Amino acid sequence: MTRFAAVNAALTVFAAASLTNVFPQIDASQRYSFDGSNALAAQLRQGAPADVFASANVSIPEQLYAEGLVEKPVVFTRNALILIVPKSNPAHIHSVFDLSRSGVKLVVAAPGVPVGDYTRTVLHNLGLDSALPNVVSNETDVREVLAKVALGEADAGFVYTTDARTVRGKVATIGIRWSAQPIVQYAVAVVASSPHKAAARAWVKRLLGKAAQKKLLAAGFLKIR
Amino acid sequence: MRRVALAAVVFLATFVALGFLAFPVVAIFARVPPGRLVGQLGNPVVTDALLVSFKTTLAAQALILGLGTPAAYVLASRRFRGRSLLVTLVELPLVLPPAVAGLGLLAAFGRAGLLHTSIPFTQAAVVLAVAFVASPLYVRAALAAFEAVDVDVVAASRTLGAGPVRTFFRVVLPLARGGLVAGSALAFARGLGEFGATIMFAGSLRGVTQTLPLAVYAEFDVNFDVALSVSALLVLISAALLVTLKWIPSASTSRFRFATSI
Repeated sequence: MTRFAAVNAALTVFAAASLTNVFPQIDASQRYSFDGSNALAAQLRQGAPADVFASANVSIPEQLYAEGLVEKPVVFTRNALILIVPKSNPAHIHSVFDLSRSGVKLVVAAPGVPVGDYTRTVLHNLGLDSALPNVVSNETDVREVLAKVALGEADAGFVYTTDARTVRGKVATIGIRWSAQPIVQYAVAVVASSPHKAAARAWVKRLLGKAAQKKLLAAGFLKIR
Repeated sequence: MRRVALAAVVFLATFVALGFLAFPVVAIFARVPPGRLVGQLGNPVVTDALLVSFKTTLAAQALILGLGTPAAYVLASRRFRGRSLLVTLVELPLVLPPAVAGLGLLAAFGRAGLLHTSIPFTQAAVVLAVAFVASPLYVRAALAAFEAVDVDVVAASRTLGAGPVRTFFRVVLPLARGGLVAGSALAFARGLGEFGATIMFAGSLRGVTQTLPLAVYAEFDVNFDVALSVSALLVLISAALLVTLKWIPSASTSRFRFATSI
């Protein structure tokens, strides 16, 4: 029984796209589905079978909790936003304030996608709502934004600092001052319909444990306050 | 007894096959009351996507007909080395995964691509993506239709003094019309449903590059009811296209009608 269970106990973890690199580093033995947190939530609402849901914000899992679809979510890490431009920097963007210049091709995530909402908060905090007309595409998750900038097709895009690290050499980064940063908290919850709840809860506990937290920090995520 | 059993198996298989194909389509309508469907037609997300879809698909259709017709005629009327290779090349986008098509378009026409154009993220990018994936349907049908034109009739027209251009427009084109109309309608329907290449090459921006299928995808995360309504709308438009196709007499008499659908 124990051995059989151990082999078959791979959990299905629905996780925010920004966790694509770090989750397999923390635990390579689970099955992951990475996508925009809101897309994953939509799938959960349609009955997608998953054991754990890790979102790039708190509001989406809290909403699922209110709907009875997941157990009480807990914050397990934090992140920050950064502006990226292709290494060749075709639009000569050297500060966030260059974004409102006409003709700049800015790629962001769609509203509703956590990073899309954070991006709009950052722009608003910087007094840069005027940059929104330069948005040429609303992408479905942060990795799509990352890819379009890294490919050199977009002039600039907002991603998490942890995403920018995964394409070093292809993009240049421009920091955003702390006072303009939104609160980017990641929350994780056990899916209510999971047939492996005990294992799922244990996995969430491990994610909050020392070893997993160390891996998150090493990948550039921030300590929970 | 065995014949009865065989008949039962065939009947059951037919029932399952037809049911399987119809069920998801019916399910969309089961979840969208007609009243809400009509109501969603006023939703700006839907109207914008409808407009973008028709504008880009029509523009792509113009490209497909304008360039695809002569290409199909040359491939149908000339025999030369490498012809079958060219025909295969024309058909390739049909079987390519759309994501591969999108990546190919970026590699070719992207700013960092071979031609260094600034097409990505514009409506022109949607037109190119649609033309790329939909044109094989038309070119294949046109090729078959041109090949079916009796060479003796064409020769007779030429010996009676009509030039090649006059022969093409007065003899070949009317004779091939059925296949051309059928292929064009299928290409239009396929173009209207284009998704993968578009989202990779053109991105998604409401009123600019967000077509109906992209709106379905975007709204799936945000408002499932809107996604369902747009889906229902797409089903209705596609069905209307197919029905119209069957009503066009010249199209329905063409023996190449089914050859065009993969």
